[in-house]
Amino acid sequence: MESVSFRDGNTNCGNIINESFNTFNLSNEDAEIMRWLSPLEPSNRHQAVRTERFEGVGDWLLGTREFREWSSSEGGADKAVLFCSGNPGVGKTYLR
Amino acid sequence: MLREPGSRKDISKVSGGVLWRMGIPLTARNTSSLVIDSLCDRAGEENIAVVGLYYDYLAQQEQTITNITGAIMKQLVVRGEIPKDLREAVQKGKKEFGGRGPRLADLMGMLKIAIASLPQVFICLDALDECLPRRLPELFESLRDIVQESPRTRIFLTGRPHVREDVLRYFTEAVMIPISPNPDDIRNYVEMRLNRDADLEAMSNSLRADIVRVILEKTSEM
Repeated sequence: MESVSFRDGNTNCGNIINESFNTFNLSNEDAEIMRWLSPLEPSNRHQAVRTERFEGVGDWLLGTREFREWSSSEGGADKAVLFCSGNPGVGKTYLR
Repeated sequence: MLREPGSRKDISKVSGGVLWRMGIPLTARNTSSLVIDSLCDRAGEENIAVVGLYYDYLAQQEQTITNITGAIMKQLVVRGEIPKDLREAVQKGKKEFGGRGPRLADLMGMLKIAIASLPQVFICLDALDECLPRRLPELFESLRDIVQESPRTRIFLTGRPHVREDVLRYFTEAVMIPISPNPDDIRNYVEMRLNRDADLEAMSNSLRADIVRVILEKTSEM
């Protein structure tokens, strides 16, 4: 067995794992499949970004009518996309 | 003679650089992480899957559409059984040409099947402006294909305002929300950081007020 770490939030969804320090025990073959699919590990980045997040910041977005309607998926394919735009200096990892 | 960096006399001249040093977490990227976490929390109760990634200038070369599609597929298959098609594709790829990686068309086919087999998938892509611009059309076309096949799929995107037009070209009814620094969020954050200052006694109330005022002024200009 080979231990592959998925300690990043993007994979911590659904009924897989809810905590960020879990590891999946994958067979060698399954681990190989994961590596074959992509060298990218988005969950590492997610873990780094969420660690820096300040509690409460941005919560307003989740409460907007636009966000709630979008995430409820009632609009079907036409309303599939939500785009949040930030100006230079806001859209970067940290303000500059 | 060089001035001591960070001299408190310079507070009236601070630029956004101070914000950078304070690491104020008010960015679109943090918004993405908040949305991802909020959706993941819901995923525990509702049968939804949350996948995606953060675009990054520094990773532009390896963040190809193929690698991104593969990463999203990886996030989906780790949830359950690995599809037989995928196992076979890996075995086949290993034997040819000394080991070939996945092809985009094959990955997209498998990804569409995987998404269609789930009640709902949220795809979150942060900082589209950090993707190589020439790769964006292919990305949007792929996303559009996915949505057409699985209309319940939700796509969350962030990026600088100039990407807006690109998004609208492919998704004419996309919902647009501008993210700007919220003064209350900034004030709360700066107050928290000042309260944690190692040398709290050295800071007079007026200096403290100045710091908060100047930072709020500077962020309102962004």
